[in-house]
Amino acid sequence: MKKAMILLLASFMLLTACSSKTNDGAASSGSTDTKQADTSSKEVTVWAWDPNFNIKAMNLAKEAYQKDHPDAKVNVVEYAQADIIQKLNTGLTSGTDSGLPNIVLIEDYRAQSFLQAYPDSFYDMSSSIKAADFADYKIGPTSLDGKQYGVPFDSGVTGLYVRTDYLKQAGYTPDDLKNVDWDKFIEVGKAVKAKTGKDWLTLDPSDLGLVRVMIQGAGSWYLKEDGTTPNLAGNAALKDALQTYKKLMESNTVKIISDWSQFTGALNSGDVGSVPTGNWITASIKAEASQSGKWAVVPTPKLKNTPNAVNASNLGGSSWYVLNVPGKEAAAEFLAKTMGSNVDLYQKMNKEIGVIGTLKAASGGEAYKQADEFFGGQKAIQDFATWTTQIPKVNYGMHTYAIEDILAVALQNYLKGADLDSVLAEAQAQAESQVK
Amino acid sequence: MRGTAVGRSNRNQSRIIGWLFIIFAVFMIAAFYFYPMIQALLLSFKSGRGANLHFTGLANYKRLFTDSVFLTAVKNTFLFLIVQVPIMIVLAMFISVLLNDSKLRFKGFFRTAIFLPCVTSLVAYSVVFKYLFGADGLINLALLKMHLIASPIMWISDPFWAKITIIIAITWRWTGYNMIFYLSALQNIDQSIYEAARIDGASSIRQFRSITIPMLKPIILFTSITSTIGTLQLFDEIVNITKGGPGNATLSISQYIYNLSFKYTPDFGYAATVSYTIVAMIIVLSVIQFKAAGDK
Repeated sequence: MKKAMILLLASFMLLTACSSKTNDGAASSGSTDTKQADTSSKEVTVWAWDPNFNIKAMNLAKEAYQKDHPDAKVNVVEYAQADIIQKLNTGLTSGTDSGLPNIVLIEDYRAQSFLQAYPDSFYDMSSSIKAADFADYKIGPTSLDGKQYGVPFDSGVTGLYVRTDYLKQAGYTPDDLKNVDWDKFIEVGKAVKAKTGKDWLTLDPSDLGLVRVMIQGAGSWYLKEDGTTPNLAGNAALKDALQTYKKLMESNTVKIISDWSQFTGALNSGDVGSVPTGNWITASIKAEASQSGKWAVVPTPKLKNTPNAVNASNLGGSSWYVLNVPGKEAAAEFLAKTMGSNVDLYQKMNKEIGVIGTLKAASGGEAYKQADEFFGGQKAIQDFATWTTQIPKVNYGMHTYAIEDILAVALQNYLKGADLDSVLAEAQAQAESQVK
Repeated sequence: MRGTAVGRSNRNQSRIIGWLFIIFAVFMIAAFYFYPMIQALLLSFKSGRGANLHFTGLANYKRLFTDSVFLTAVKNTFLFLIVQVPIMIVLAMFISVLLNDSKLRFKGFFRTAIFLPCVTSLVAYSVVFKYLFGADGLINLALLKMHLIASPIMWISDPFWAKITIIIAITWRWTGYNMIFYLSALQNIDQSIYEAARIDGASSIRQFRSITIPMLKPIILFTSITSTIGTLQLFDEIVNITKGGPGNATLSISQYIYNLSFKYTPDFGYAATVSYTIVAMIIVLSVIQFKAAGDK
């Protein structure tokens, strides 16, 4: 009986192992043969999300690499980000190599959680790339204990996109919004609403992205420098940010949305006069070609009552990681030669996809100096690249999303009229028990 | 006794053949149901980040009672349960009685129309509901145009209305499903019982109370148990319509399990603990329902 059981279990495992291999084969782009499971083969499998951005960028990297290494095989597989997170978590927990890619894209906010939860599962890239070649703020999330694991990819540098025509009607120019604080931003918003009847910006009450932008601009985060201690109660920047958020909510200039398509819908239809967010929104804004020349980008506003706040911040962004599975050397070599150093590749990615990389040398290239007619001739990419260097470096730590869910409840209570210090103290206590 | 040697070996042989027939299924169930269940139970006594799990005894179970996010999720789930399940059961019974009327025309059409929601994909209908109930969605537009409300209702971004939206959505999705059980049960009730009641002068309300409901009792029990289990496992609708927001106002227990495993830094041990609380709740609630319905 026992033997039969073991035999059966073993055959099941064999079955599943076989099927996962065929799955991989089916998912590959077809350019590869199905003998890829062979560890000696040099095929590099890459997982990423967003076919219009990350996947396209990776394919450009593949082309560039194959020019010099005609026999190199790179297999770029697209999954939704949530699927990648699930597959990585289950794959890494199970402790088997099979079914895992060689290279994976991970969002910076989550990077530490993977690096610390699965020690030795990621390949140390310290000898393949130079951390100093990349924007300073990207090094925090992509490294651990002095070892550089991630190859920093896109910059999530934020800007304030504004409708110049609406501003003009309200008697302002984009210059009036350059290097201002959020209070001034709200004041202009009220004037725009009064003159044009248009809302000033969209907000999604269950997404605290704007709060993240505000506090990173002030060099602060949900967690302390160590990346594990919650930093909510007594965090002056966070308090300032939440007060500003409440002011915004009460300014009667906010269009409430609940998802991405409503977000892009509002800005494409001209329902809102400004969009304070990451540069990755450029493509969505440009999708409405009829608005060409009506937009400008100015630096992100900063918190008024926090002394060290700057007019530059970050929202989102991700980096490439090599998994510690067979084929890691080839994968590391591929990444180092492309995303890790190839300035020409970054020019191409910028021109074709709009990627603003965090490789410092890339911003010296010609693509970054182009004037953009959509933004009224502004050298928008150049501006973003400049702001990227000014983003304060913070440690996102392991618990950004866990704490944000707790903070979202606190924010709701605060908006309903509760005392800010007490809701933050409560959130602090909750966060401490959650992340211990 | 008649137990000759031949007879015994025959019986043994047929027993072995019987086992051979079901052995594959038994192993499948053992390997894919019971083994993971036991592993999950063991996992629920461990804690840690990702792969670094270590044994912590009952710490996870203690943590449950101080975890306010978990308590919020339980509260929300029970709110959905207490409000939504009775509404849906009563509605399903009411509609099925209407549709069972022998004088009703286009019966097939109405049955199909009411049953149709439950063959739609959970994700697809959730997305449609999200747009219907958006701040400038169809529902708000209709209500505004009819002058029933002065300003749009924040169906998804207000903590109270978000709960209402979820309740409306799951009621729409599952009423037809339950109705089918009632319809089939109604058709099994002997018409002569009703005839006798009519001869005795029972009103239709009296007939419904004294004949229909008692005859439907096993089905009422069945549908309330399956609906209870379904509501305790609520996930797709919440994730797609409100993402648990605003501020955990619609967070369900299943979504919290997902968050603990995949959205936050994974703590599979604690997630397994939360999963086992659902098991415990389902058992307790089912026992209560059996007791309340008077079955042994």
